[in-house]
Amino acid sequence: MIKEHHPHAKTIEVRQSPGKSFLYALPMMLLTLVMMSGGKIPADPQRIFVFAVTYLFFNLLFFLMIHTGKTDRYRATAFITYAILFIISFISHMFEARGSMSLSQEKIILCEVPFCHLVIPMTLIPAAFTKTIIFPGSITGGFASIASMFTIWIGASLSMGRGWCSWGCFFGGLDDAFSRILKRPLLRKIDPRWTYLPWAVLLSVILSAAAFLSPTYCTWLCPFKTVTEFEAVTSFKILVQTIIFVSLFIALVIVLPLLTKRRIQCSLFCPFGAMQGLTNRINAFDVRIDPDICINCKRCVAACPTLSATEESIRAGRPLMSCMKCGTCVDVCPNGAASFHVRGTPVAGNRNIKRLLFLYTAFLFLATFSGGTIQDGLLRIIRLITTGSMI
Amino acid sequence: MKRARSIAGYAWAVACMVAVLATFSGNNYLSAKLASATGVTVSPMYSGGEIVRSIDHGAYRTVIRHPVFDGLLGERKEGFIQIEWQPVTEFPLLIEDKIDFTGDGKEDFAFRLDTANGKGTLTPRNPSVIAVQMLVRVNQGWVARIQLRKVS
Amino acid sequence: MRGFLLGLSSGAVCAAYCTPVLVPYLLGEGRDVLQNFSALMQFLLGRLMGYLSFAVFAWGIHTSLPQDITQRNLIIGSTYLILSGLLIFYSFFKTGRACPSAGGHGIDHRLHDSRPSLLLLAMGLATGLNFCPPFLLAVATAAEQTSLLQSLLFFLTFFLGTSVFLIPVPFLGLLRGFSPLHLIGKMAAGLIGAYYLFIGATMLSGGLYR
Repeated sequence: MIKEHHPHAKTIEVRQSPGKSFLYALPMMLLTLVMMSGGKIPADPQRIFVFAVTYLFFNLLFFLMIHTGKTDRYRATAFITYAILFIISFISHMFEARGSMSLSQEKIILCEVPFCHLVIPMTLIPAAFTKTIIFPGSITGGFASIASMFTIWIGASLSMGRGWCSWGCFFGGLDDAFSRILKRPLLRKIDPRWTYLPWAVLLSVILSAAAFLSPTYCTWLCPFKTVTEFEAVTSFKILVQTIIFVSLFIALVIVLPLLTKRRIQCSLFCPFGAMQGLTNRINAFDVRIDPDICINCKRCVAACPTLSATEESIRAGRPLMSCMKCGTCVDVCPNGAASFHVRGTPVAGNRNIKRLLFLYTAFLFLATFSGGTIQDGLLRIIRLITTGSMI
Repeated sequence: MKRARSIAGYAWAVACMVAVLATFSGNNYLSAKLASATGVTVSPMYSGGEIVRSIDHGAYRTVIRHPVFDGLLGERKEGFIQIEWQPVTEFPLLIEDKIDFTGDGKEDFAFRLDTANGKGTLTPRNPSVIAVQMLVRVNQGWVARIQLRKVS
Repeated sequence: MRGFLLGLSSGAVCAAYCTPVLVPYLLGEGRDVLQNFSALMQFLLGRLMGYLSFAVFAWGIHTSLPQDITQRNLIIGSTYLILSGLLIFYSFFKTGRACPSAGGHGIDHRLHDSRPSLLLLAMGLATGLNFCPPFLLAVATAAEQTSLLQSLLFFLTFFLGTSVFLIPVPFLGLLRGFSPLHLIGKMAAGLIGAYYLFIGATMLSGGLYR
């Protein structure tokens, strides 16, 4: 049962009893069964096994979210698992298809490069002016076609806004993982002006992509090429590009998140994330801070992995536009002042319903989007254990 | 008014969940609709341009695509043309093609392709033909992109 | 008229190449629309100086620009390095230290504060000298003119035609109320400067080692 909050109570909980938690989680169990299976139960015993494991994994996490009233630790478990298994699955596919992670000229000419959401900001102006997409992929059909990724992006933007960065992105789990390794940050002070860098990167890549009709973030900067695919090094220019993206991966995805306990790549560099911040304006869900309950302890400021909670924003009653709706501030707030909120409704009251509505939307997205990849990743691991090779 | 706003807010929240369901269950349909409604295609800078002509040489086929000078607004002064050689039965060891891409009946350039080791030699006959940008083995055939510059 | 029409037909390409340089600067300055038009004029003046100097050069030697790739790489590479230096300087050195990792004080006063238009003129000159494809064609045409005056006139009208497409850019001044745009503009200038630094260095080394 929900504990009603009192203004000066030490802890505010939205946890539920096991019975009620199961009831609240039941619709999710049905929805994930349908969405993850696509209406078809696999025939192969190995596939049935990984489907069952994945299904139970997600629904156990959701049950725990409801039962404990905590969001972030369970979200992160699923999110990080997704990122790791995505890499395993993707790299295995690359070796199966072409024998290496490097992208050949042949694949580029055949327009068979999988389309990633990070390209989207760079394609918009050229698409508006030329009605063409500046990317060597397929519009429809095939793996990760351009139109299907655009559809997923539009759906995610409408349903979660920048919640994509904590509940959808298959790369975000990496710096999320490294930011949780140390108990305490070794670098505490981060100049808040760095939070504008993603916007500068966004502006630069949009302008340069429009000028040169080339996805410049992908060719020059994207750190995640290190763990997916990259152009084969056949010239000095490509060598320099390779050095740049590997260095950025090491610095922004591994080292700095480790030292600062913040999601540095996602919050201080990613241009797609900056653009997604704008979609927070057209989304039903946000995070609010109730000024009547807030005791100004600033635990949310210290804990927020994306530097979206500042003293000013707390006074204003909401985090910055960069909020990724991960639930960290909601979990650490000792008085329950921070909570998930539905636009148009009062900030106080019905906290549990609003949280549930958000969790249903976001968790369903995560489970559906990542379910297939997680199953494939698990299959690869089983294949590695049983045959010695993932391919 | 407050109540109406609250109801609208909750309805909006439920609609978000419906949006998630629609995004994934209707992805094939929605993406096809999005593609046809916008009419977007892959930029010729990557697709190589539309096929203009295909010349059958018996053992192989030469495919000539439309020159690409695409810019953000209008056309650029520098571009390329993509030529493809596709085997029908088996490639001869040496291919020597005379290409007319302007359609004026005059040869614009000659291309000599050693199909065994992928070495290509370009002989421009038209001042707008500059150099070989790339020569790549694709499937069982070869694709060349020849750099062009517009000459007034 | 021919020059103007050639400029108009090619101006979109010029605008596309100039915008990544101009937009971050205008955002970074945070001026209003009228002040941005003034800044645009200074930038275009720099470009014009670049164009006219080549008009004289092209007419003087009765030939178009160096066709030899080595010489072209050296010239273009050098101008790209100058452009990158200007952009990175602008990004890091400014009163108020807008960039969080900026170091050094005082250098900006000599170049920027006392003569703010020098930076714009220099950036315009550097973009004007970068041999964008329409420019090459114009130079070739100007070299064929019989008199210096005709050559200069051709280039002037060509320049006017290309500048038309940059007219919307100063309206960025309408966004000046959003204060973080200043910082974003300066950071973007630094990023684009880094890009030109690499391209310029590559072209220069390609030209030196041929």
